[in-house]
Amino acid sequence: MRNLKALLLVGVLALTLGGFAFAEEFTFYIVSHGGPGDPFWGVVMKGMQDAAAFLNKATDDTINATYFGPEVYSVTKLVDMLNSAIAARPDGIAATITDPAAVDEPLRRAIDLGIPVIAINVPDSRPAGERIPYLFYVGGDEYLSGIRAAERMLSVKKPTRAVVTIHEVGHIGLELRAKGFIEVMTEAGVPAEKLATGLDPTQAIEILRGYFSRNPDTDAIFTLGSIDSAYVIQFLKEEGLVGKVMLGCFDVSQDVVKAIQDGIALFTISQQQYLQGYMPIIWLYLYNKYGFLPANDILTGPGFVDASNVDKVVELVKQGYW
Amino acid sequence: MSTTFLKTFATKARKRPEFGVFVGFLIVFIGFSFAADRFLTFDSIAGIITVAAELGIVTAGITFLMIAGEFDLSVGSVLGVSGMIFAITATAGIPHIVGLLLALGAAAIIGLLNGVVVVRTGVPSFIITLGSMMLWRGVILAVTGGFPVRYWGESALLFALNGRFAEQLRMSAFWFIAVIAVLTFVLMRTRYGNWVFATGGGPQAARTLGIRINKVKIINFVISAVLAGLAGCIQFARFHSVDPTRGQGLELEAIAAAVIGGTLMTGGYGSLIGALLGALLVGMVRSGLVMAGAPSYWYQAFIGIVLIVASVVNIRLKRWALR
Repeated sequence: MRNLKALLLVGVLALTLGGFAFAEEFTFYIVSHGGPGDPFWGVVMKGMQDAAAFLNKATDDTINATYFGPEVYSVTKLVDMLNSAIAARPDGIAATITDPAAVDEPLRRAIDLGIPVIAINVPDSRPAGERIPYLFYVGGDEYLSGIRAAERMLSVKKPTRAVVTIHEVGHIGLELRAKGFIEVMTEAGVPAEKLATGLDPTQAIEILRGYFSRNPDTDAIFTLGSIDSAYVIQFLKEEGLVGKVMLGCFDVSQDVVKAIQDGIALFTISQQQYLQGYMPIIWLYLYNKYGFLPANDILTGPGFVDASNVDKVVELVKQGYW
Repeated sequence: MSTTFLKTFATKARKRPEFGVFVGFLIVFIGFSFAADRFLTFDSIAGIITVAAELGIVTAGITFLMIAGEFDLSVGSVLGVSGMIFAITATAGIPHIVGLLLALGAAAIIGLLNGVVVVRTGVPSFIITLGSMMLWRGVILAVTGGFPVRYWGESALLFALNGRFAEQLRMSAFWFIAVIAVLTFVLMRTRYGNWVFATGGGPQAARTLGIRINKVKIINFVISAVLAGLAGCIQFARFHSVDPTRGQGLELEAIAAAVIGGTLMTGGYGSLIGALLGALLVGMVRSGLVMAGAPSYWYQAFIGIVLIVASVVNIRLKRWALR
């Protein structure tokens, strides 16, 4: 119905404008497992809106971009929302492949219907042959993030021993970050291992104290999220290890940003999720209009926040870009 | 003379619920002293006490409730709710003492709700508090949108709750000891203590004796929740931040510590001293394994083994003692 109205509107516009360049209308959907109430996804949504606004201003065409995401994580809701999006026969869908089995059928159906599909945030993790044949992926790369984190540390100073704190053992994303980091460190001849620190900060700090008492030569820590970053920063402060231990973090949080400003942490990694809303809209437009496709997946992360850009990022966090 | 004294002492000792955990504690302690070089240092012992204090305050509340024959799975979420209220009020500029009282008040209300629903409906507390655990965790997530609440500031109250003194010791240790002391006194030396044992041990008999077992249960639910809330505030006092997962999984660890400490799931039998030793044992296992250089992914498995062995030993000991 909305499409029909829009179509009529376009028709009227086209008639009125007569001889002008033929203006088209495109409808794109982003369907994600996270709701706009979640600050992380709020940033993605802002990226999407900004891209649509930019295109509406810069071209004669009309771009409608809509964000769908359940308030509370739910695969069923995600699939329902995907189905509604497909039913609207849009000119493109960008979806998170959080649960490949659940979104497999609807996304393949969309592709069969000729709707261009892009994966964002989480790619289809299955082997090449079984993957949903979406056009490309826009998002972070967990494994590469670990690799880059280790390389960044090694470029500053080769640590004697490095440890990766993991607050959620078995979380595949975190495990991949740790894997990349440990592989690069090991290759460089630095002993590195994972330390399961858990969610409880009191216990985590005692686990860290125990680890440091056993391995006093540890001088590099890589944290995998804002939860463990917070207690590791506290640990370094309480134990007077600031400046003696190199710290690399993950995610942009208040604690981590402050730690970078205070010189406690060297860097933190962000997947720059704004781009996960922005890029799909731009690319879906370019694909629809001119048939352009990028040659590879578009990696929005690892992006680095360090002393060189932290003050700017702090401002941009307030404005909803990071 | 001395042998008879020792014999009476041994007979007396083995009849106490905490006897099993005391022996277990000694065995693990001695084991780690050999296995890990730096285990027997002030630093390391202080660290174990710090972990045990927060866990132990929660365990004490759960133990008290378990003796009365009920169960509380919501303590982890309550810890999170109270910590969150304390954090949010502090960031809003509300005096810390007011924030603390609001946080503990909220915990008391949650405990009251748990208790009233359990005694009024007769649905097992396992189910009601499981629901309560999910409900309050959900509220935390919804209110914070998944992000931690951070407070930048200090106060004397925060120090009194969990400040550091004598290098590695923390004020939480005093709160822990105070809670154990008060609850032990209530349990062993007051009429209310007898009611608690009677409520859990034989509800029918207790009723016949005129004990208002529903009231006892509700009060114990409130105590359990308030202590979990206190632990949440103590934790906030140190970290000045609360993330939405705070306290997640703690309920199971606290129940494990209570059971290791000799308290029976069936009610009517248990000890706060046992809870203290149970919490210390759980804290010690973690630190000890790290210091002994065990791969960290094994801690949980080890605590699982300790839990199973301890419960089996405790049951056996109880049968043996009552023979």
